[in-house]
Amino acid sequence: MIAPLLIEAAITGPMRRSPGRTLLAVLAIALGVALGLAIYLINRSAADEISLAARSLYGLADLAVEAGAEGFDESFYPRVARLPGVSVASPVVEVAARVVGHRSPLTLLGMDGFRSKLLQPAFAASVGATDTNSDDALEDGSESESAADEAFDDRWILLSASAARELQLARGDIIEFQVGVKRERMRVAGVLPPAALQDFAGVVDIATAQWVFERLGNLSRINLRLATGSSPERVKAALTEMLPPSVRITTPGEATDDALRLSRAYRSNLTALALVALFTGGFFVYSTQSLAALRRRREFAVMHAIGVTRKEQLALMLSSSVIVGVLGAALGIVLGVMIARIGLSVLGADLGAGYFRGLAPGLNVHVAEVAVFSLLGIGVAVVGALRPALDAARVPTASALKAGDITSGEIRPHGWTVLTLGLLAAIVVSLPPIAGLPLPGFVAIALFLIACVVAMPAVVRFVLRHAPRWRHVPYEIAIAQIAGTAKYATLSVSSIIVSFSLMASMAIMVTSFRDSLDQWTQKVLPADLYVRVGYVGQSSYLDEALAQSMARVQGVEHVEYNRFARVQLSADRPALTLIARSMDRDHPESTLWMMSTASNEIPSGAVPVWVSEAASDLFAIKSGNEIEFELAGKAVVASVRGVWRDYEHQSGAIVMARDVYIDLTGDRAVNTVWFWLDDAADVRKVGNAIRDLMPPGTDHDLRTPGEVRKLSLEAFDRTFAITYLLELVAVTIGLFGIAAGISAQVLARRSEFGALRHLGFTRRQVATMLAIEGSVLGALGVIVGLFAGTVISLILIYVVNRQSFHWSMDLSAPVGLLAGLSAALIAAAALIAVVSGRQAMGGEVVRAVREDW
Amino acid sequence: MLQIENVSKSFGGTPPRRVLGGVSLQLAAGEYVAVMGESGTGKSTLLNLIAGLDTPDAGRISLDGQDIGALDDDARTRLRRARMGFVFQAFHLLPHLSVERNVALPLALNGRQGREAADRVRELLSAVGMLERADAAPSQLSGGEMQRVAVARALAHRPALVLADEPTGNLDSDSAAEVLELLAAQLKRDNAAGILVTHSDLAAATTDRILQLTRQGLAPRAAASPHRS
Repeated sequence: MIAPLLIEAAITGPMRRSPGRTLLAVLAIALGVALGLAIYLINRSAADEISLAARSLYGLADLAVEAGAEGFDESFYPRVARLPGVSVASPVVEVAARVVGHRSPLTLLGMDGFRSKLLQPAFAASVGATDTNSDDALEDGSESESAADEAFDDRWILLSASAARELQLARGDIIEFQVGVKRERMRVAGVLPPAALQDFAGVVDIATAQWVFERLGNLSRINLRLATGSSPERVKAALTEMLPPSVRITTPGEATDDALRLSRAYRSNLTALALVALFTGGFFVYSTQSLAALRRRREFAVMHAIGVTRKEQLALMLSSSVIVGVLGAALGIVLGVMIARIGLSVLGADLGAGYFRGLAPGLNVHVAEVAVFSLLGIGVAVVGALRPALDAARVPTASALKAGDITSGEIRPHGWTVLTLGLLAAIVVSLPPIAGLPLPGFVAIALFLIACVVAMPAVVRFVLRHAPRWRHVPYEIAIAQIAGTAKYATLSVSSIIVSFSLMASMAIMVTSFRDSLDQWTQKVLPADLYVRVGYVGQSSYLDEALAQSMARVQGVEHVEYNRFARVQLSADRPALTLIARSMDRDHPESTLWMMSTASNEIPSGAVPVWVSEAASDLFAIKSGNEIEFELAGKAVVASVRGVWRDYEHQSGAIVMARDVYIDLTGDRAVNTVWFWLDDAADVRKVGNAIRDLMPPGTDHDLRTPGEVRKLSLEAFDRTFAITYLLELVAVTIGLFGIAAGISAQVLARRSEFGALRHLGFTRRQVATMLAIEGSVLGALGVIVGLFAGTVISLILIYVVNRQSFHWSMDLSAPVGLLAGLSAALIAAAALIAVVSGRQAMGGEVVRAVREDW
Repeated sequence: MLQIENVSKSFGGTPPRRVLGGVSLQLAAGEYVAVMGESGTGKSTLLNLIAGLDTPDAGRISLDGQDIGALDDDARTRLRRARMGFVFQAFHLLPHLSVERNVALPLALNGRQGREAADRVRELLSAVGMLERADAAPSQLSGGEMQRVAVARALAHRPALVLADEPTGNLDSDSAAEVLELLAAQLKRDNAAGILVTHSDLAAATTDRILQLTRQGLAPRAAASPHRS
């Protein structure tokens, strides 16, 4: 039991005496917790919304028979429905329907009115509930049920609440869809409450969906409710035996996991980046507590001399960090929830990255999350303080009580520790991703950063030994001071090294990515003009005749066509995008950025295809390999002729020559037309002529390569905007480290400053000396930070990014930006040193020469 | 009460530097001795060994029959906490505690709080003439005042043994005399034993007997001063 008086002497007293440093430590932890929690909450809210939306599509189903990329024949339905153990089977057609005048497609569910009521009672109930509020309210249950049936009538649609809100439609309004380039109209029968259907979606009668959206005889899914007592495993086994291999039998839970998978890497990387601020906060606590342990060395010795045991000293130091952690975590939780609320309302669920367009989740905070982030904040504070606390508890009492004790400035090089950490980082970075996430990469970054911080004493010694000699008294004293207190110097810059290296690494990674994306857009967009109608899986497209008529527009030299489809390479993974394009098969590099090409001949019977890097990574496909998939019900054997760089299709893409695609499928529809124009052609006039050819009101994108490039880079910059904010916070916490370090030293060196003033040093000279110390410390942080940042950027580019998104990129360093950031940081460190050392210029230090400590 | 038998101590380096060799001493309860000697003869080292802040290479130190060298650091710390008091040359008051709370600290460490402890603190502060400055911070005191508070702190928990290492080394002669007189008087009042390490003959003269520390060990130097008797 520690006496309260001891707590006052060792914890609360020092905190009261240095409120600024305590406040900075609390703020460092608070900012780390706040950013980590805010990003986590925003991500979790988005994920919840996606899960709920995906889950709501399945209602009360126990199992779902999911079609591959192309759906399956509806003749399977009666066989599935009659299978022993199946109580209700509800067939579903799912269409990405293009709503006229709206960019995002509406998920349209075609369902059987009677059967879906058994699995989706919320749909039927909500139709009744919707009607109760309307003028022609229905009064009893039976009438409500008939209204529900009516809602499933031909050309009626039930909209989800979010779809109705976003499309600004209400019951009785007309909604128009684009199928091909035709318009199809439906009337809104009602708006479902949010709990019934949570996506940007609508429900129509299944026959309507098949008829209107050209899916006759085709189903996307069959939702199954099992009979009481039947074994899901047995039913699953029977279904597997009955259905073709491309059909997948899932539980609704697995389906929601699929929905989340696409954005998981983005969400986890962002959370990891947000936790960097907390990591930097931990280093800040480490440096402040280490400085306190050095500064209060005699105090600890006195306490030990008068009877405080080592264990009690350790407990006191750790308790002090627990208090900082608790205060920081409490403040961080409040700030985090506020930031999450503001972030969700201002930037949206994806913080501007475009992953969850149209999603408007609310913010719910769970007690468990608050507890985890609180413990994380407290844990980081305690771990940060552990080493200094152990040092404090090991102060050699007898020597520390002697006058002129000088061991406080001692430094040790820790060569073996640095080497071990470096080796460990090298081993960890070569490990494969865990659960699809680049966790070993992040651990390697943390290990490498710790190695850099541990190596700092040797770096400080080396740099100061080679510092230029300059006969300028404040400069000489500043350099001598840093050299004499190298341990202080090392500690002051540890948090700046961590934050600056991460900022530098992110800057290098983002520039590499941006430059590669820029080059990629130029490479893959060789034509002069592009028109796109619909995308993969969407209801809109151009028919071939219309596309060919565009080729005859005056000024057009020649055209090429693209058609998007889906192929399923594995039932366990999302479908890949198939791009069927008019192309020169002998020279794919003219429109694709080839990373590797096959050297073998195409086996007979195989068709040539080119796969994206993501497809190559996800399915372990290499150039020269053969792959098999189903297209239009036919088994296709394809030979992979090359792997190409792609920044568009995260789940992977396959390019196939359009003529091969037509031979295999008979599908002559077109989604994109590429136009090469005559030299004399006016792009705007050609564009207008192409527009005139399309039926009025046809939704399309008509752009020049410059516009596409601009849009891509704008989207890229929007995606990474949030990361700049997170880095800025981390660097701010790093600057706290310098502020705390200098101010701690100024307190410890009061008599030295007093002596200098007695010797004739002006206040200006003291300020100059402090500015030099600050800038030298800042420069040390920048030098090591730049080195560490470069190494970390390589891990981010070649490991983390590749494992997260399967995108490769070429290294490109923003030299100007890094030089500017370095200069700004050194200047900020100099300024902070002068501001936090202002006590050194006051009159009190002159009197401090008489004091012993 | 305190028995030191043939204690020696060397410090690192090759070859090790022998600081103390064959030192023996017996100290009875209430006895106050001065240890004098040239710089580097190991006076402070001897105090550190007695206090259990360091351990001898050879020999035995026991307090009330308990071998200090046989205890681990925690046990030595607890023994020091309960049975010893310290007065340092550089005062070493805890900067974050007021005068009163600095004096109360050894009592609190020994689990003695409340009215009895408060009375003891007031008694000592009154005895050293610092009662009116009880709420002052250490930084507001002069050197003499700080050392008077340090004397009160060393005696607060009625230790059996007080160790004073050059307690007047940083004080002017008037303040030094005041502090020495206080220390001697308080030791007698509490019947505590004391060891005063000093270079000053005047300081040594306030003790019961004076010992000279040399490379050969401890030896009596002179009879007790008439001032003490």
